[in-house]
Amino acid sequence: MIMNESANPNPLFMPRTYLTTESNKTGSWRFARPRYDEKTSPCSAACPAGEDIARIEMLATQGLFKEAWETILLENPFPSVCGRVCFHSCEDLCNRREFDAAVAIHSLERFLADTAIRYGIKPDLERRTPRKQKIAVVGAGPAGLSAAWFLTLLGYSCRVFEASEEAGGILRWGIPAYRLPLTALRHDIKQIEAQGVSILTGKPVTAEMLEALKKDFDAVFMACGHGLGMAMNVPGENLKGVGEGLDFLRQIRDGQTPACNGVSAVIGGGNTAVDVARSVVRLGGKALLLYRRRRRDMPAFDPEVEMALDEGVELQELMAPVAVAQEEEKILLTLQEMMIAGEENSRGRIVPDHGKIHQVRVDRIFKAIGAQAVEPWHQPDAADRDMLRLTHTVLNRRGTGAVLVFGGDLTNATKSVVHAIASGKQAAIALDALFQEGVEAVVPRMEACRVGDGQSLSMEVYLGGERRLRNPHVVRYEEINTDHFQFIPRVTQPRLLKEERARSFEEIDLKISAQLAMKEAESCFNCGICNQCDNCYIYCPDTSVILERDTQGRHINYDYCKGCGLCVVECPRNAMSLGEETP
Amino acid sequence: MKRVLEGSHAVAEAVRLAKVQVISAYPITPQTHIVEILSEYCTKGLMNARFLRVESEHSCMAALIGAQTAGVRTFTATSGQGLALMHELLHWASGARLPIVMAEVNRALAPGWNIWVDQTDSLAQRDTGWIQMYCEDGQEVLDSTLQAFYLAESVNLPVMVVLDAFYLSHTYEPVDVPGQEAVDRFLPPYVPKFQLDTAHPCGFGPLVAPGDYMEMRYHIAMAMDDALIRFGEIEDAFAAQFNRRYGPVEAIECEDAEIIFVTTGTLTSTCRLALQDLRAKGEKAGILKIKLLRPFPYERIREELKGAKKVAVIDRNFSFGAGGIFAQEVRAALCNTPDHPPVFGFIAGIGGRDVTPEMLTEIYRQTKNSDAPQKESVWMGLHEVKYAD
Repeated sequence: MIMNESANPNPLFMPRTYLTTESNKTGSWRFARPRYDEKTSPCSAACPAGEDIARIEMLATQGLFKEAWETILLENPFPSVCGRVCFHSCEDLCNRREFDAAVAIHSLERFLADTAIRYGIKPDLERRTPRKQKIAVVGAGPAGLSAAWFLTLLGYSCRVFEASEEAGGILRWGIPAYRLPLTALRHDIKQIEAQGVSILTGKPVTAEMLEALKKDFDAVFMACGHGLGMAMNVPGENLKGVGEGLDFLRQIRDGQTPACNGVSAVIGGGNTAVDVARSVVRLGGKALLLYRRRRRDMPAFDPEVEMALDEGVELQELMAPVAVAQEEEKILLTLQEMMIAGEENSRGRIVPDHGKIHQVRVDRIFKAIGAQAVEPWHQPDAADRDMLRLTHTVLNRRGTGAVLVFGGDLTNATKSVVHAIASGKQAAIALDALFQEGVEAVVPRMEACRVGDGQSLSMEVYLGGERRLRNPHVVRYEEINTDHFQFIPRVTQPRLLKEERARSFEEIDLKISAQLAMKEAESCFNCGICNQCDNCYIYCPDTSVILERDTQGRHINYDYCKGCGLCVVECPRNAMSLGEETP
Repeated sequence: MKRVLEGSHAVAEAVRLAKVQVISAYPITPQTHIVEILSEYCTKGLMNARFLRVESEHSCMAALIGAQTAGVRTFTATSGQGLALMHELLHWASGARLPIVMAEVNRALAPGWNIWVDQTDSLAQRDTGWIQMYCEDGQEVLDSTLQAFYLAESVNLPVMVVLDAFYLSHTYEPVDVPGQEAVDRFLPPYVPKFQLDTAHPCGFGPLVAPGDYMEMRYHIAMAMDDALIRFGEIEDAFAAQFNRRYGPVEAIECEDAEIIFVTTGTLTSTCRLALQDLRAKGEKAGILKIKLLRPFPYERIREELKGAKKVAVIDRNFSFGAGGIFAQEVRAALCNTPDHPPVFGFIAGIGGRDVTPEMLTEIYRQTKNSDAPQKESVWMGLHEVKYAD
């Protein structure tokens, strides 16, 4: 149809059509097919608990703090704890690290947990219909409580037996308050109890009692941890004045103020050693931290070491204890200086630097060189070939009796809070698969809920949530269209001044504001997941991206999509894929 | 208010005063100063306009075609290679009858890579259906830009305001910048004769069969003819408001002139100087400055040149295999009139080379001393070429 647009003086005889071009189905030209294809973010695959971090940050960006917090709870019942003490391997693999700096995922987890506490938010989590099996959990540490939490979500009734007078395990008795205040821990535990988990404190499980539990319950999850210090195997290590670092931390957590006058030597390089040294400083003593390798080889988290040194802890690297002796009021500690003979497993391989012997006079020694199971029967029998050995747990099923599952520090190669949580989750999934479908189903069901290509498991995937539709492909930095992002400085975690830190057990890390948190969350690439940015809609030259009010928010109209692939290229976060068109 | 402005900024001031709503451009020397300052005006809120950054001049013109179709006043600026890249869409803009205004700073085309003045870039777009105005100084640039919006919108054709690289774009001169109220009295707000309307969806520019296409083209031809009349009316309105007038051509001392220079752009100013000297020596010389290339003011040109014995056209451009482009246009204007003067074609100042009063006097001398042109074009000031070993 052609129109004359104006009467005069200049006639505008111009081509114009009022016919629709809908009859021309340009989709028939397509030989490549774009589709919405949500993938796996590297942070979530790196998180031992498999938290859906890209989605959590997306929800936080939108101010949906409750939903973000619930998304954590689906995979980890300890957001308040992990927002403080987790070593956040998620940030190490954050794609944004290659752009400017990793997103402060750790600070954001803490912010979401704090916000939930502050407003007394209760989670609305779906629970499956009750199952008949009953499960006993030995030890109310992070592994045991996680197993109980997930098993409860899965419909089982759980009872947790805890030897101490309060639940929490290492979280309650081994991590100082300046890293993990009681209120934060108690909140997470209260939440777990509110879900229906019953915790019996002051109930140590003996070998006899375990046999009774095996009769009364369908399964027993052993998560009593490593409570026995390792020996240094040097002469004099049993002298008075030589103590276990964990015992010292426990005394403080119990409200006592153990004597710390003079100089305390702390042997070890892990987080416990650093915590002992920092606690000594807080109680007015002088701490000498002795480690047999170099500082960079220390298993303790680097920021913690950094702060310890700031607070006045003295670190001597490459020092191994060889003898302990009483010398009047003091303890004479003989040290062998070590030297690096090469690298192994990215740590220094050390050998004695012969002839270099040092002696220090100290008032006491704390050992923090690792721990082991208190009783031999806490451990799965290494020789038993019938046990089902999973990444974080060991399953023992004999005949028709109760299933015995070992988890937490008892089986984990890496002893960390979040690995303990992962172990509890794995135990819960394994038991559910076993009870519902039989032992053959355990490994395949476990495989099916892996996050990306790693070891982490997702409870949401196991429960058949939306997340199960994600492609396991882990998004790489090169797959992010960084043209759509700007450099933004990472939020700086506010902390107490070192002068304040060195004289109290007050929590060091301070809260961040909602405004800062949202800004930080906004910097997240949201690798692999659609945050409804609408780039596909905006860039589609064929108006073939159709917006709709459903969860995806859009779909492609393949009648007209020519398969140019612009939407896939302009998706900033690789939440789309282009595949070959199949005739 | 008189301000000392470079030619580029004279354009920008006019664009600001014209209350343009969408500007799109891709930077290219020697045009960049124009859109640079306009982008600043947009950022600082001195203009209520959207500045669209684009990845090429082709996209730039496409964006303006979209914006103008949506019903707003638009502007861009470009030069040389950038204009060449726009070529396809220049046809589209005029065919779609969109009154887009562009400042085109003449720049020589590569290779050799050259950022200096040469009119071949804009003259190569002669047949795209754009109105073209060639300017002599900063004041004319500002005034022509304001008039360009008026003219474009009244005939629904795009307008190119053309200025010389550096000699005009980067030269500071006193320019009278009118106040907003005075401009508003002269230039009415843009009222599109047609525009996109989501309430009445339709497609612009669909397939047109031979049965209709020719009439559409004829309407453009009619609009071009009308543009010459409208240009006069707009100049009247402008003169009433601002007391300045340029004309489609300007005849300088042509009444009794025996030899008339035909010039365009800044070269005209140099020629005015040469003319003073020639007249002082008793030579009967004159200048015909051409401002409008399209629509070409045939009648006025015939009228002004009819009494001359000889015409010397100076072209800062060249059509290879033919000659200077303005010379061809002037010859075409004269050829059907009886006893018209012979037209001498001179090529000067290509690629930014200086055209001095002495060179113009030499052109005059050569024209005076020949009864008829010896060849189509005489290249002025060529020197011996030194080749590399």
